Amino acid sequence: MSKTQRIESTMEVVRTLVGLVIAYAVALVILFAISEDPVYIVQQFILGPLSSPRRIGSIINLAIPFTLCGLAMCFMYAVNRFNLVPEGIFMLSACTVTWVALKLGNGLPAIVMLPILFVVAILTGVVIAFIPAIMERKFNANVVVVSLMLNSIIAFLAVAIMRYTMRDSSISYIASYEIPASAQMPKILGKFSIQSGIIIAIVAVVAVSLLFYKTSFGWKMRLVGENPRFAGAVGLSAVSISFAAQLIGGGMAGIAGCTEMLGNYTRFRWSATTQHGFDGLLVAVLAKKNPALVPIGAIFLAYIRIGADVVNSTGDIPPEFITVIQGIIILLIAAESFMSKTKNKLIFKAAEKEEAERKQKQQANTAA
Amino acid sequence: MTIDWIAFAAEVIRMATPLVFAAMAALICRQAGMFNMGIEGMILCSALAAATFAHLFQNVWIGLLGAILIGLLTGLLIAFVSITGKADLYLTCIAFNLASTGGTVFLMFMMTGEKSTTSGAFRSFQIPTIDIPLIKDIPVLGRIISGQSLLTYVAILSIFLMWLLLKRTRLGLRIRAVGENPHAAESVGISVPKVGYISFSICGIMSGLAGAFLSMSWVTYFMRNMANGRGYIGLSAQNMANGEPIGSSIAALFFGFCQALSITMKNQTNFPTEFLEMIPYAATIIALGVTGMLAIRKRRKVESGQAAAKEE
Repeated sequence: MSKTQRIESTMEVVRTLVGLVIAYAVALVILFAISEDPVYIVQQFILGPLSSPRRIGSIINLAIPFTLCGLAMCFMYAVNRFNLVPEGIFMLSACTVTWVALKLGNGLPAIVMLPILFVVAILTGVVIAFIPAIMERKFNANVVVVSLMLNSIIAFLAVAIMRYTMRDSSISYIASYEIPASAQMPKILGKFSIQSGIIIAIVAVVAVSLLFYKTSFGWKMRLVGENPRFAGAVGLSAVSISFAAQLIGGGMAGIAGCTEMLGNYTRFRWSATTQHGFDGLLVAVLAKKNPALVPIGAIFLAYIRIGADVVNSTGDIPPEFITVIQGIIILLIAAESFMSKTKNKLIFKAAEKEEAERKQKQQANTAA
Repeated sequence: MTIDWIAFAAEVIRMATPLVFAAMAALICRQAGMFNMGIEGMILCSALAAATFAHLFQNVWIGLLGAILIGLLTGLLIAFVSITGKADLYLTCIAFNLASTGGTVFLMFMMTGEKSTTSGAFRSFQIPTIDIPLIKDIPVLGRIISGQSLLTYVAILSIFLMWLLLKRTRLGLRIRAVGENPHAAESVGISVPKVGYISFSICGIMSGLAGAFLSMSWVTYFMRNMANGRGYIGLSAQNMANGEPIGSSIAALFFGFCQALSITMKNQTNFPTEFLEMIPYAATIIALGVTGMLAIRKRRKVESGQAAAKEE
């Protein structure tokens, strides 16, 4: 790696960290400005999430769907298609697996039941992700707009499926019947009470990282995203590769929804989409499209989310302010100009130093 | 099932008003070569600003001004991040929309202690409706065209202003030149960033008007997520007509029709509401598909025509 490259990659990491620090500082300033007991609230926001094994467990529990959705968005983001349909898929796959689990009933053992449900979830994801992808490919329709509109449709569709085919009218709130015990995934690690989906998340991170960095498809995908013209020039079909990446991303989002549903709930009861898709985008941006870094981004996001929840329950501060912070993080990291002057200065200095050393050597040589 | 068709037609125009503004906002950026999805969040912020400013100053016009101002500022913010900050415009807009969805709820809660609407805490203000003399006396037409909100007529006016701006002024020519080919425009001395900022400002004003209509005409308070995809629908309307003001407004009117249909059927029939709610969104997707298909077919025809001409 040349000096310039080294400076560039170090600066990327520094930039991300500085962006995070600024956003976190903004969060603290907001908290400080609006609460009546600012010192206590800020302390709660920073330390609260780590104060008990249960809360640490809930950070990890929250990081699991963020990781899986982050991986899903990595596929979209890697090929530069902001197909935001994972947001809807997350909800719909939870709905379809509940439906299938209820239809299959109590007869099946978990070892048969769970694989069937995951296949259903993946199929749901692939089918839904196919719609914006094919619309772009065949009709040149904007994938962002189509996927957002589709998310609205999906939310109504999932609620309709729940209300008209599997609503349990014996309970006071609107929810489905309870899914069979064989479809419920157990909590593990006792005190921390972590959902067993963590195993799925770890396997998924390893598998997707291998796919991205150890297979030719992963290499093609990254090339298409970074430099579509070059990819075209070396004979890759950018359209087909980004199409395939979007379908895989959809399947991944299906796994995310299914894991969340079976690991954390016994009834399907969402009435709107859950923001997990957008959180996944943030995680993918934080991880710079690198699947191996996705869990770190996910844990960071989960940590500030749980912090916001703690603050919400101890003080009277709505957790919505976190979405503002999330927006600021994406903006700072996405803005190429952010800290570019520092980067250029460093590169310039390094080059100057190299030049000076070369000259010195030359002088020494001529002197000798 | 009996539907009052005259009231329905008036409802179509009412629902189309914010969509026309959104489409105008989208098309000015599109003409400058930028696909601005942030309109959704800009409308949302302006809607909250309209309700807040009107309440603070107890004056409906200051509410309107506040909405336009916030629309303008948010537009400039997106312009700053994407043009000066060189961030990817899609990512900027997604981040901005995300932040404004949560941020408006957060601000509303800080001001009113409510998280769903401001209807309890803020006094409601409504932009006056206008009865057009003569036309209001025509039987059916009078009930449809007359008696709409002032902003509806502003929306109609804005279509022609936008057309004039783009087709008959020096600025419009510059905007289109930048949209067509920024490098060529730059080479003849047009400042591309400046044109970008100007387009975003006009876009902001239009989004501000859309927001003001939502919280001071459509209803008289702010609700969480009240833009509800209108920004995206405006973008699609503009997309269907290739950024032409008049065509885009016709598309916006079509989407207004779909929304009115969904609302009217929900109130007057007992069809499952979930499926009725889907209508505007499904219509958008289908419309994008159909116009895309037509555009591709047309291009193919042109290309095959050129090929045939070469052979001769």
